[in-house]
Amino acid sequence: MTGRLLAALLLLIAPMPVLAQAQSPAPAQPQSQSAPPPIGVHLGVATCAGSTCHGATERPRGSYVPGNEYLIWSSQDKHRNAYNVLLDDRAVKMARALGLPDAAHQKICLDCHADNVPQNLRGPQFQLSDGIDCEACHGGASGWLGIHISGATHAQNVAAGLYPTEQPIARAEKCLGCHYGDSTRFASHQLYGAGHPRLTFELDTYTAIEPAHFVVDQGYIERKGRITDVQVWAVGQAIALVKRMDAVLNPAHAPKGFWPEFAFFDCQSCHHEYGGYARATTTGLGPGTVKFNDANEVMLKVIAQRVAPQAAGELQGHMMALHKATIDDWVAVEREAGGVKTAAQSLVDSLAHHDFTGDDMRSMADALIGIAGSDEVFSHDEQITMALESLTTALKASGDIGDKQASALDNAMKAVLAAFPNDQIVHQDAFVKALKGVQQAMRK
Amino acid sequence: MSGFLRRFLVAAALWALATPALAQTSSGDAKHLGVESCAGNNCHGAVKPLPGSHVPQNEYFIWSQKDKHAQAYAVLSNDRSKLIARNLGLADATTAPLCLDCHADNVPPDRRGPQFQLSDGVGCEACHGGAEAWLGTHLSGYNHKANLAAGLYPTDNAAARGARCMSCHIGDNQRFLTHTMMGAGHPPTPFELDTYTAIEPAHFVVDQSYIERKGQPNDMAIWAVGQAVSVKLRMDLILSPKHAPKGLDLELSLFDCQSCHHSMKELQWRSNADTGLPPGHIRFFDANAAMLAIAAGQVKSVPGSEIVKHMVALQAALDKNWDAVKSEAAALKNAADQLIPSLADHDWTRADAIDLAHGVVGSVLDGNDLGYSGAQQQVMALESIVAAMKQLGFADSQQLAALNDAMAPLYTAVADDQTYDPDKYKQALTAFNAAVPQ
Repeated sequence: MTGRLLAALLLLIAPMPVLAQAQSPAPAQPQSQSAPPPIGVHLGVATCAGSTCHGATERPRGSYVPGNEYLIWSSQDKHRNAYNVLLDDRAVKMARALGLPDAAHQKICLDCHADNVPQNLRGPQFQLSDGIDCEACHGGASGWLGIHISGATHAQNVAAGLYPTEQPIARAEKCLGCHYGDSTRFASHQLYGAGHPRLTFELDTYTAIEPAHFVVDQGYIERKGRITDVQVWAVGQAIALVKRMDAVLNPAHAPKGFWPEFAFFDCQSCHHEYGGYARATTTGLGPGTVKFNDANEVMLKVIAQRVAPQAAGELQGHMMALHKATIDDWVAVEREAGGVKTAAQSLVDSLAHHDFTGDDMRSMADALIGIAGSDEVFSHDEQITMALESLTTALKASGDIGDKQASALDNAMKAVLAAFPNDQIVHQDAFVKALKGVQQAMRK
Repeated sequence: MSGFLRRFLVAAALWALATPALAQTSSGDAKHLGVESCAGNNCHGAVKPLPGSHVPQNEYFIWSQKDKHAQAYAVLSNDRSKLIARNLGLADATTAPLCLDCHADNVPPDRRGPQFQLSDGVGCEACHGGAEAWLGTHLSGYNHKANLAAGLYPTDNAAARGARCMSCHIGDNQRFLTHTMMGAGHPPTPFELDTYTAIEPAHFVVDQSYIERKGQPNDMAIWAVGQAVSVKLRMDLILSPKHAPKGLDLELSLFDCQSCHHSMKELQWRSNADTGLPPGHIRFFDANAAMLAIAAGQVKSVPGSEIVKHMVALQAALDKNWDAVKSEAAALKNAADQLIPSLADHDWTRADAIDLAHGVVGSVLDGNDLGYSGAQQQVMALESIVAAMKQLGFADSQQLAALNDAMAPLYTAVADDQTYDPDKYKQALTAFNAAVPQ
C-alpha cells in the first residue's frame, strides 16, 4: 500500500478531484396524503457512524468489517471535504468567473460536491455539508438500514437497495458519474477555464488512494467474492471510455461555431511550454493539432489485445478515424465515437469476470511500457503509471510473486512515481528508465 | 546603463524567447546583386567612416556580426531545423521554399546577380530592395529621394518599414507561420516595429545628416504605425481564404499562444471587458489591437473605442460562424488602414508621450488584462515612448534615468512566459507610472 499512497502524493499533489455523487434517484413525485414514503431516503452520516457500527475505533467483536469506516472517511478521505471546498477562495473565484453568486448553493457544483438528492429524499439527520457522504455512494439507506443492522447477507442488503460498490461495473458507474461525468454532470472546459482542477481518474488506483475503507480479508471474500485489482482496472477503463464517448455523443457538447468542447481533448496537448522541441504525434494528424484524449482507449486496447484481439482492432480503427474527424467534421466524430463505445461496451462484462493470469499481467505491463517508450503523451503516461500500480497490486495479491520480488517491484514503482515532479509534467527519460526497472522486477 | 546598451539587453531578453531572424525580398523585378556588392570597404564595409560620409559605413559589420538576419539561412542547417523539417515531411529546410521565403532573400533565380548568395540569409537587399536599378544612383550622389525613385526601399518610412519587417515577422499572403509549423518546433515570433528596429540592432545612426535627408524619426510614431500595420496584416491573415477553417480545423496561429499554452496551476482567467470572453475560451491575438486603440486616442481619424468594439465582436464571432469573424476582421482592417496615415503624420509631442505612457499603464492597472502577450506589447510600447522622450528631449537626464531604472523590472517580468507573474508585472508598472514625468 505504501507505493499507492506515494502515488496519491505524487500524482495528485495538485488539487485532487473530490467528487462522486449519488445515483440520481427517480425525480421527486408530488405527494398526496395517501402516497407511500419515498424509497431510498438518504438518512445522513450520523445514522452510519454509531460507535458500534461504522464509527468504531477498533473492530467490534464478531464483526465482518473493521468498523472504522466512518473514521477513515472523516479523517482521510477527500470526499469528506467535497462540500467544504466550495466555500474556499478558489471556489469563490471560480463561481465569480462563471457568473454565479457562490458555489455552495449551485446545482452545477453540488451535484458532485455533495450528496445532492432532492429535498424529499433527505432524512432528518441528512446534512448537505457532509459532502460526498456514505449514501452518495452506497445509496439512500431508508430501504435497507433495517435489515443491514439485523444481520442480513450482503445479497439481501443489495436486493433491498444497498449499492453494490464491490462490483467493478457498478463501482465504475458510480465513481465515474462524477470523476468523468454523465448525462447531467460534466466538467466542461469553461469550468476548467474558470479554475476547476483537471479531472483524472483510474478506478483501481483511486479506490486504493481514497483511501479504501474496506479490507479484503476472508470475511470480505466469503460475502462478496474475490475481485482482483486487474479486473477493477480493466472494467474501469472500459466504462471510462464508454462515458467519454457518451459525453461526445451528447448534443449539449457539440461544437459552438468553431469552438469545440475542449474538455474532450488532452489538457497537455495545448497546456504545455512551447520553448521545447515538438513532440511526436500518435494520432495520424500533423504537428500542431489538438489531440483528443484517448488515454482510456489506449489502456483498453492493451487489455483487449490480450483477451479479445478483435475488439482491440475495432477500438483502434474507430479511434484513429475519430482523431482524424476532430479537425474535420463533428458528425463524423460522433459516428466514430459510437463505434468506440460499442467496442468498449462489448468488453465490459467479460473483463469483469476474466481470470487474468500472471502471464496476462506481465504481457499487458510490457505493452504499456512499450507505449511509454514510443510516445510522449502525458495522459498516456499518467494512465500507464496507474495501470502498473494496479498490476503490481494484483500480482502481489495473486501470490504469483514472493515477498522479496514484491518489495523490489514496490521500489521500482517508486522511481516511476518520482519521474512526475507534479501532476502536469513527467521527466520523460527518468520515466522510461524507471519503467524498464519495473519490467525487470516483474519478470518471473 | 546607456540607452543603447539597455535596448541591447531587450534584445537578449526578447530574442532569447524566440528569434525571428527574418524578412524577405523586395517587390519589383530588379536583380539582387548580393551582400558583397554593398560591403566594399569604401562603402558599407568600412571600419570607420570616410571623410564626408553621411553614414557610419559600418552597416555591413553590424549586420554580419550582431544581426540575426545574417544567420537566418544558417539556422536552417541546425538540429532544430532538421527536426522541424522532418516533422513537416520536408526533405531539407535549406531548400524548402516554405523556410527560405523568410530565412533568405529568396528571389527567383533569374533575379539573382552573380555575387548573390542564398546563404547570406536575410541580406541587404532583402530589406532594401534589389540594387540593380538603384546602385548606380546610390553610388553617385547620396540623394535619398533619387535612390527611392530608382527603387531603393523606403525603410525610413514607418509604414513601409512595418510592411517589410512584418511580411515575415507576422506574415502576409504568401508567408505565414502556421500552427503546423509551430507544432513541428518553430518558435513563436513576437514583434514590435520600434523595439525590433532598435534591437536588430539598427545599423543606422540618427544624426544631423540623417535628419536632413530623411526627416526626424519619432519612436512613438514608429511604434503607433507599427501597431496599425500589425493589425492590418493580422486581419488580412484572418481574411485570407488560405487560413479559413477547414471543417473544424482552425488556424491556431491566429490566436494568442498563451490563451492555450499556459500552465494549469494558476487561475488564469480574469473578467476582461477588452475581450468579453467567458472562461476557457480561445482568444484571437489581440495585443496589437489593444495597443492601436491606445495610439488612436491621440489622433482624430478613428476612436480607440471603435477598435475595442470590433475586437470584442471578433472574439465573440468565433462562436457564430466564419463570415461573422471575417466581417469584424474587415472592419478592423479598415480602421487600421485609416489610422496608418494619421498616426504617421501626427506631430507626436511631449504631451502625447505622457498620455501614451499613462494610457498603456492604465490599460493594465485600471483594467483586467494581464495576459502575457499583452504585457509583452505593453513593455515594448513603454520602451518606445521612453526612447522618444530621450530622442526628442522630452525629459531631462534625471527623469530619463528614473524611467530607465523603472524599465528594467518590466523586462524581467516579461522575459519568459513560463515565469511571467502578473502581480510582479503590475508592481513594476506601478513603479514605472510613478517615474513618468508630469
